[in-house]
Amino acid sequence: MSVSLQNGLTTLAAGIDAPIASFFNSCVHCGLCAGACHFHVETGDPRYTPIHKLEPLRRIWQREYTLWGRLLARLGLLPPPDEAELAEWQSLLYDSCTLCGRCSLVCPVGNDITYMIRKAREGMVAAGHAPEGLKTTTYRALTTGSPMGVRYPALAKIIASLEKEEGIEVPFDREGADYLLVLSANEYMLYPESIAAMARIFHRAGLSWTLASEGYEATNAGIQIGSSDLARELLLRIVETAEKLGVKTVISPECGHAYTTLRWDGPNLIGRPYRFRVVHLLELFDELRRDGRLTLAGKHREKLTFHDPCQLVRRGGLIDEPRHLLDMAAEAFEEMDCAGVWNWCCGGGGGVSANPDADALRNRAFAMKKRQFDATGARKVVTACANCRAVLEDGIEAREMALEIVGMAELLAENLAPPDEETQHE
Amino acid sequence: MADEADLLERLRQQGISRRSFLKYCAGLASLLALPPAMAPRIAEALERARRPAVIWLSFQECTACTESLTRSFSPTLENLIFNVLSLDYHHTLQAAAGRHAEDARRQSMEANRGKYILVVEGSIPVAEGGVYSTIAGISNLDMLRETAAGAAAIVSVGTCAAYGGLPHARPNPTGAVPVSEILADRTIVNVPGCPPIPVVISGVIAHVLTFGRVPELDDLGRPTVFYGQTIHDRCYRRPFYDRNLFAEQFDDEGARNGWCLYKLGCKGPTTRNACATEKWNQGTSFPIQSGHPCLGCSEPDFWDAGSFYQALTAPPVDVAKWVVPAIGVGVAAGAAAGLANRLRKARAERRRQPLAADDVKGGEG
Repeated sequence: MSVSLQNGLTTLAAGIDAPIASFFNSCVHCGLCAGACHFHVETGDPRYTPIHKLEPLRRIWQREYTLWGRLLARLGLLPPPDEAELAEWQSLLYDSCTLCGRCSLVCPVGNDITYMIRKAREGMVAAGHAPEGLKTTTYRALTTGSPMGVRYPALAKIIASLEKEEGIEVPFDREGADYLLVLSANEYMLYPESIAAMARIFHRAGLSWTLASEGYEATNAGIQIGSSDLARELLLRIVETAEKLGVKTVISPECGHAYTTLRWDGPNLIGRPYRFRVVHLLELFDELRRDGRLTLAGKHREKLTFHDPCQLVRRGGLIDEPRHLLDMAAEAFEEMDCAGVWNWCCGGGGGVSANPDADALRNRAFAMKKRQFDATGARKVVTACANCRAVLEDGIEAREMALEIVGMAELLAENLAPPDEETQHE
Repeated sequence: MADEADLLERLRQQGISRRSFLKYCAGLASLLALPPAMAPRIAEALERARRPAVIWLSFQECTACTESLTRSFSPTLENLIFNVLSLDYHHTLQAAAGRHAEDARRQSMEANRGKYILVVEGSIPVAEGGVYSTIAGISNLDMLRETAAGAAAIVSVGTCAAYGGLPHARPNPTGAVPVSEILADRTIVNVPGCPPIPVVISGVIAHVLTFGRVPELDDLGRPTVFYGQTIHDRCYRRPFYDRNLFAEQFDDEGARNGWCLYKLGCKGPTTRNACATEKWNQGTSFPIQSGHPCLGCSEPDFWDAGSFYQALTAPPVDVAKWVVPAIGVGVAAGAAAGLANRLRKARAERRRQPLAADDVKGGEG
């Protein structure tokens, strides 16, 4: 066991790099980040000011890396955080932060507060101050291969029943395939219909693709709990499978943080470049649309709106792709207030949905989403993240709203054009 | 001793008509920024004034304040006002000397207790118990305390009395301090300047006589009517400043054209005084008008504020000489701190124990 207060503090000190030091130095205490955080906006509680959540990390930075801090620490005037303090800060660092990145975007001096929270969580988990729910999820992901405890045989059964329903072959471990699709646990446990929709679209586009029996899980609880060690272990399962199968591209499914992990954090985590490229499902769909391999026979008639997953817009830059697809798929698409890069988080990202300690707060923050949805008057919300979908459905249920959430793949598959002559000739 | 004959009578004896007296009162009212209707009230108050006693104490000073008041303005009304005051004690002007002079001071204090006006010229040395300046064996410090006790109003004339002035300049060997520092619990009217403008001194005294109280003062104890604006605000060369036209040297084209003297060190922008409006020598001119930058002589510590000929925004040290070594030192210190921090970070990374699945096993496992 490596968990101890000392290891937590050492990990915090080890995690402070040049960006973190310059962020703390450049903070002008303007408080703008408070207004960017849905937890602060909905509760009005100043403790939810994003930069305030970093107090333990800031103290370590002062003590270890600033002249004054070192002097004060010597004189005993700047004690390191103790167990009680870390326990208190656990709720701020885990329950009240979804790593949505809105504070990073609003910061006038360019401090990436989300990155800082990630670093603070490294120390928290090493000190043993991570929420039980998130610990359980992480442990399950590490030991079973899936945060929901679904091992390969169970997954194979789910997929087999989909194959039967759709009449489409869904291959596992096909060597030399162009694309490897990894999945979010939410998709195979809660929304298998979205996997069916993907399979149909891929089949129609004539894609050479496969699933994997090892490293099938796209989500990364290690990133959410904030341990690079554990995140690396989980990520390597995908990287090793992809490179063993020799695929050209790994597809991140409808999930936010899986995309961030695979696409942006990954090479830094494993310390080398990939031998494959990573695309989000939305990017792939948009590529297929552009190439004429994804065409629809009709448009969705009802009014609908789109919820941008934080990790895709703010951390990933996927803003135009879903809109191209929506223009193609829907007759009455209406943007929400704050749509795109400024969209408000579903409230359950960054491990919050796997952390029951945060349930009450998450439910309060949903008021923001309700206002956004209500203002559009749409009855259907499309999104591209199975976690957003599950969290939004929770909120809708709690507030008894008449609103349906669907994934982008399902929306597209709804009116997929039948095979045309050209394709049939091939 | 104070004479009981009234002011108008004495003015008449000196050949000043009532008409010119009233003109003076009107001028004073406008100078003090009072409504014109106040002029008769000033006249009435001054007329009734029974030769108020004035005790003028001279400490560490150069007598220029007295010179400014007495000589250059003769024979204006301001001067005459002083003639009609009962100036009971003044080193330079009194005929008495030695013990008789001190007797005169004590007699006046006795006879006019609570009514006389105390004017102080010069700073007070307090180092070594005040031995650096004594008069008739009495230290300035003691004399000030003794005389201030029964004064109706106290006026510090000149920058030395108001802020310490030249004696107070570094390294201040005599421990010179301004009046306000000795009499911290009294309201002191500061009339700074090296020397101050005479009409300002007489205006303040007229105000005290008219209203029975001192005029409104700013945070440095100066009457706002005279010190409310900077020289720069009212300078006739201000339009050149606004158009970015400056004299760069005392004999260049800009100097000959009468452009702004800012770059030659003019302290006008930071100096509050009435020079630009009242001027000197019966309104003839003032330093900037005669081509010399303002020294800022009515501001505290003007002696220690760097060269008189360096622009206000010029750095106090030779930048060219210091900037390169300073950059070098800064870079070296930064590099050293950075290296030290890197070593600390590397040590923390070595000591950190990586996590494994068991570390998050929690209650469930």
